[in-house]
Amino acid sequence: MLKALKKIIQYPRLTIGYPATSLDTEFITGRPCIEASLCTMCGECVRRCPSGAIVFDRPKMEIGIKLDECIFCSLCAELCPSKAVTMVKEFELAERSRAALRERTVVGEPSKIEEISISGEAGTEGESLAALVKEVKEKSTKIFGRSLQIREVDAGSCNGCDYEINALNNPFNDIERLGIHFVASPRHADMLLVTGTATRNMEQALQKTYEATPDPKLVVAVGACACSGGIFKDSYATRNGIDCIIPVDVYVPGCPPRPQAIMYGILKALDRVK
Amino acid sequence: MTQALYEQLLDRYPAAAKMSGLKTDNERYIEIDSEYIAEACMFIHQPLERPLASLFASDERLTSGGFALYYVFAIKEEHSFLILKAVLPEGSTVFPSITKDIHAAHLYEREIQDLYGLIPEGHPDAKRMVFHANWPGDLYPLRKDYPTNARPDFADNKQQFVRVLGTGVYEIPVGPVHAGIIEPGHFRFSVAGEPIINLEAQLYYVHKGIEKLAEGCSIEKGFYLAERISGDETFTNSLAYCQAVERIAGVQIPLRAQYSRVFFAELERLISHLGDLGGICLDVAYGFGAFHFRMLRGWCYQLTEPVCQSRFLRSVNKPGGLRQDFIAGNEELIIEYMLRVKQELCEMVKILKANSFFIDRVENTGTLDIKTAADMHTVGPAGRATGIIGDVRKDFPYAAYERLNFSVPEHKNGDVNCRMNVKIEECFQAIEMIRQVIDAMPYGPISEEIGLLEPYRYALGYTEAPRGENLHWIMTGENNTIFRYKVRTPSFCNWPALCKAVNGNIVPDFPLINKSFNLSYAGNDL
Repeated sequence: MLKALKKIIQYPRLTIGYPATSLDTEFITGRPCIEASLCTMCGECVRRCPSGAIVFDRPKMEIGIKLDECIFCSLCAELCPSKAVTMVKEFELAERSRAALRERTVVGEPSKIEEISISGEAGTEGESLAALVKEVKEKSTKIFGRSLQIREVDAGSCNGCDYEINALNNPFNDIERLGIHFVASPRHADMLLVTGTATRNMEQALQKTYEATPDPKLVVAVGACACSGGIFKDSYATRNGIDCIIPVDVYVPGCPPRPQAIMYGILKALDRVK
Repeated sequence: MTQALYEQLLDRYPAAAKMSGLKTDNERYIEIDSEYIAEACMFIHQPLERPLASLFASDERLTSGGFALYYVFAIKEEHSFLILKAVLPEGSTVFPSITKDIHAAHLYEREIQDLYGLIPEGHPDAKRMVFHANWPGDLYPLRKDYPTNARPDFADNKQQFVRVLGTGVYEIPVGPVHAGIIEPGHFRFSVAGEPIINLEAQLYYVHKGIEKLAEGCSIEKGFYLAERISGDETFTNSLAYCQAVERIAGVQIPLRAQYSRVFFAELERLISHLGDLGGICLDVAYGFGAFHFRMLRGWCYQLTEPVCQSRFLRSVNKPGGLRQDFIAGNEELIIEYMLRVKQELCEMVKILKANSFFIDRVENTGTLDIKTAADMHTVGPAGRATGIIGDVRKDFPYAAYERLNFSVPEHKNGDVNCRMNVKIEECFQAIEMIRQVIDAMPYGPISEEIGLLEPYRYALGYTEAPRGENLHWIMTGENNTIFRYKVRTPSFCNWPALCKAVNGNIVPDFPLINKSFNLSYAGNDL
């Protein structure tokens, strides 16, 4: 007992300052970035990207990376003959829509995304619904702004994202200092933190978990799989991202996103960061 | 002796044709007529010395004229693998089950039934496994004529579970969404009062079809799939994949790369085991221990980022060696961190073992006996805790393990305490090995060119993952692609062992026992 107490005194505080202070990004692998002036449009990265996240339009001389599909393997940076691709240190990548993750993509969407059917129906009914959704969202962020209960759901990940979510509770990140707790049941939760591609066998469970979470609620998709299916998309056993099943408020790209990137995504859903 | 075994088999079955697609000697293939395959398996199999290490099918209707079955036996005393191949006659979708005699075949045969629609004749419990009630009955996605992205409509079949009948027996269903931050799985406990009578684990909730996705994709892309089989075993899975590719190509990787791979593999083991120790503490409500081990694990992550810019050791490996020389220039940092972790771990273990409340919870909890463990081919720390002497690093040395001095922990009781002790000892061994690697590794090139692979060549890649024996098998296709990729992670072998180990224990001890095995759902479900 005495020895344990000694240890507690020996290591009084390990928690990092993020998000109040910025993170030391010296050794971080962030997102890939294409320098258009150096790119020769050879198409090598487009052809070899393991998750098919890079798209280009050769005649228009336009190229872009779909961050929701990117698995951050840095292969493009390694193989680019003209060294136009670099991995920049930026890690706060979470966005409110998939389209925002593709903003830097100047080319149209070649891979199908039509499975997404969340943004209300067309016409006036759809518009009023959208306005209602917006109003509820504003209210909910006001309600959840200071304290939040999260239920984590693994809907078919490789467990990398789950380990990073676990790391939010370790002494270094200690997310509880921000008033954010992980709870055991969706019925106690304000937010679902979903990882994985939404596999066929998890589809029903994910749907039921969503329904069991009381309104108003938030959903954050964590990792390439949850955002788009990542490297596992277009399989007989998966869906291309969880937004095929349930509506998503914030997408956190990464494979896996580091704990601080997930933290940023959660705070973004709460409007606690810009 | 394998030589003799190999010859004996050829004598016994004169119709058997010799096969060899390999330049290495520790992997021998024999094709046996499917009529005699069960008998031949029995002839070879011995639970401890020559276990059935993998069993899988491959749709070779276009190349061999029928579905092929591969039975992989690990012949430990000869440090080699003996693989029996049987091709089913054209049009046949029935194969003889060997489960009644070789229990370890149980799940493999069910898996083949689900994915290929081949029926294991005589299987005692051939119900569905990979697919749940939502999958239509007559579709088999691993057949070559099934398109990878075909998603059939949801069916409404009935899920089958084992029912335990009797006065006072009731069932506790748990999952797939659990209370903690863990992967999904459904557990059905049959209990009478407190003790568990039977536990049935329904897994495959995270089945993503990795083996099918790998088919037809380039060797390069396959590597990234392998890295994403199980997040916390990224390196060891990528290593098994790379080794299989290198064996097919007949490439010997440079010595510096071999040593570097040991460094990363042992670092991954250390990280994984530290997490498990923290988890065991957490599940007996020993918060101080849990957070202290999380701190140690955090230290390791603080080391991985400066060394390879990835917390999960992703994009470190590649077929032919490593992506770059990550260790050069980081030697001092690595040694410094290892010394810190070692000292802290030493002190923590002393505190743990002096805590009688803690020891009371882990001792004699979740006991697995060696007979059961051997029958189910339990691997890794879970197997070693029961007295099985086996470690891929010793039995089938790879990378630079042959050049290093290390011992494999031996325990007998098979309870949570023994599994924990195996992991603690392996942590110290890993630190020691990393120190040896840094001392001994020579300077030189870090990778070798692989070049294009010939079609329809095959090889095994094997590693000792943090959870145990990890076997990958690759058959190449045309144009440098993958024809068949079979992954058998240690979790696949150990899930049934977990279900046996909990019997007789109380339900509240299940999380603790589960954590002491710490199996990967993703690695099992693929």
